[in-house]
Amino acid sequence: MGFLDIDNATKSYGAVEVLHNVDISVQEGEFLVLVGPSGCGKSTLLNMIAGLEDITSGEISIKGRTMNGVHPSKRNIAMVFQSYALYPNMSVAQNITFGLEMHGTPKAERQAALGKVAKLLQIEPLLDRKPGALSGGQRQRVAMGRALVRDPDVFLFDEPLSNLDAKLRVDMRTEIKKLHQTLGTTIVYVTHDQIEAMTLSTRIAVMNGGYVQQLGTPKEIYDDPANLFVAAFMGSPSMNLLPATVRVADGRVAAEVDAPGGPVSLALTRGADALRARDGRRIVLGIRPEAITDPDGADRGSNALERIEARIDVVEPSGADTFVTLALGGRDCIARLRADADVRAGETVPLTVNMEKATAFDPDTEMRIG
Amino acid sequence: MAAASSDTAIRTGRVARAGIYLFLLLFALFYLLPLFVMGANSLKPLGEITGGNMMALPSDWTIAPWLSAWSTAQIGVEPTGLRPYFWNSIKMVVPAVAIATVLGALNGYVLTKWSFRGDKVFYGLMLFSCFIPFQMVLIPMARVLGLAGIAGTTSGLVLVHVVYGIGFATLYFRNYYAAFPTELVRAAQIDGAGFFQIFWRIMLPSSGPIVVVCVIWLFTNIWNDFLFGASFADADSQPMTVALNNLVQSSTGVKEYNVHFAGAILAALPTLLVYVVAGRYFVRGLMAGSVKG
Repeated sequence: MGFLDIDNATKSYGAVEVLHNVDISVQEGEFLVLVGPSGCGKSTLLNMIAGLEDITSGEISIKGRTMNGVHPSKRNIAMVFQSYALYPNMSVAQNITFGLEMHGTPKAERQAALGKVAKLLQIEPLLDRKPGALSGGQRQRVAMGRALVRDPDVFLFDEPLSNLDAKLRVDMRTEIKKLHQTLGTTIVYVTHDQIEAMTLSTRIAVMNGGYVQQLGTPKEIYDDPANLFVAAFMGSPSMNLLPATVRVADGRVAAEVDAPGGPVSLALTRGADALRARDGRRIVLGIRPEAITDPDGADRGSNALERIEARIDVVEPSGADTFVTLALGGRDCIARLRADADVRAGETVPLTVNMEKATAFDPDTEMRIG
Repeated sequence: MAAASSDTAIRTGRVARAGIYLFLLLFALFYLLPLFVMGANSLKPLGEITGGNMMALPSDWTIAPWLSAWSTAQIGVEPTGLRPYFWNSIKMVVPAVAIATVLGALNGYVLTKWSFRGDKVFYGLMLFSCFIPFQMVLIPMARVLGLAGIAGTTSGLVLVHVVYGIGFATLYFRNYYAAFPTELVRAAQIDGAGFFQIFWRIMLPSSGPIVVVCVIWLFTNIWNDFLFGASFADADSQPMTVALNNLVQSSTGVKEYNVHFAGAILAALPTLLVYVVAGRYFVRGLMAGSVKG
């Protein structure tokens, strides 16, 4: 029994079911991020928690009280919208206190709450302005202030940063995280940006096609993706998914990957027991770009470093790292080298693969093996 | 200035420019001609009109025709001038415009933010009411007014004009609110505002331009209406347009053209005033409602 319980929740529009049997239990103080591509049902789920959309079957409860059929204003939640949804005809102060006013809070209390929130968000000089006279970042703060002032049980964020420019987005991201750490509130946050999901959350629910694909901590999601969708969706640049064949010889389980200079054999450590039974069968080998490095940049702590030779097709220096594209497994494979790695396109160079970080998937079921 | 204009990317020759202005000036004069004739002739004694030139300026300036048209001219059988009918019109137009605008705004709000099954059909039917010719409803409306006991009264005329006005008012507000962010309504719902609180506190205060459009449109149409006024009003509730007709069409006595001209200008003044005061919002509001969404 959690603080916010989503129990077997389903949403249908007519005969079309868009959200299938979602089960998530959120503890008090948790920061849950719902992440997925457009149309995966994450915003629908958030709106169902808010009460803006009906729940077709199943139950959503907050603090043990069922929320099915309860009006949004009676759920003790607050929501920050993508467009901020500030009332254009009201000043910042009126925007923030409108909810309290509607709930019949006395004026003196409203002013006190407003002062506290304005101080916390550093928007005191803006209180008399209209939303039209604010910058994007300021509007974002006001929208958060409107949510904070209610002191709700659960905060709901619907892609709150996607209207900001790149730099401001990073700043606001940090602020939201800081706010969560300061206040210890329970937050459900929807985004399509997997970096936001990784940096902000205590737990992530990766969604696709109306199903929760995987629910776990950022590390679990990143290191042990449950299936190919999660593996490909989380991480930037995304995980290399290479077609490979399992070869078992002398007790060693290896994945054989096609390469221009003849097949490359990489010893498998993770899921080796499950893979042993699949001798000769096809798998998809998932290796994150940072697990393929120049030999000097390899993780010294790893017990499963494999050396390979590969020809470099493209070099993309990003400043902090140098990303290179290799031909491996018949497709482009991205490797992350140190910033000052001395490589040129067309060269064949030695590389190190950290197989402790490699994951094998079944190409038919798309599920992780082992 | 010459240096600046030679820098602009698109240059128009001096001759072409002069031609354009001349052309515009001629058309402006042409369109202003009727107003000039009305104004000039309303300010001269009758003798100057009958015995002289309609286009000439008055040689003997007088405001007597205006005073006569306003307060003493013969309207039908009563020598009351247009004054009582002017107030009749005001008493009819103001409530009709206010009620139709508020109802249209409510309709637009419901049709866009509280959509229900069949709302598109409902909206289509409301639009249909914009295109029903006035003559078609004369007899059914007379029956309704009779049954409601408000035949021949200003209230009856208000009802008729509200019924006709709702169609256009709904059209304007629905299109305007279609572009109004639904997230605002949802935010207000979470904040705990009810149906009417959202309408009064959030939707209406943001509807300035479209309210202006709607008011101008309804005011002009209702003020200028003659058919309903002539059909449904009694002598003591007749609007300005009907009275003006009675003034001009009187079959007895001398035709006082100067008084007629003055009366016609008086009848047109309120709509003119509305355009002057709110006209610049009109175009802006029309664009806001139609281009977006």
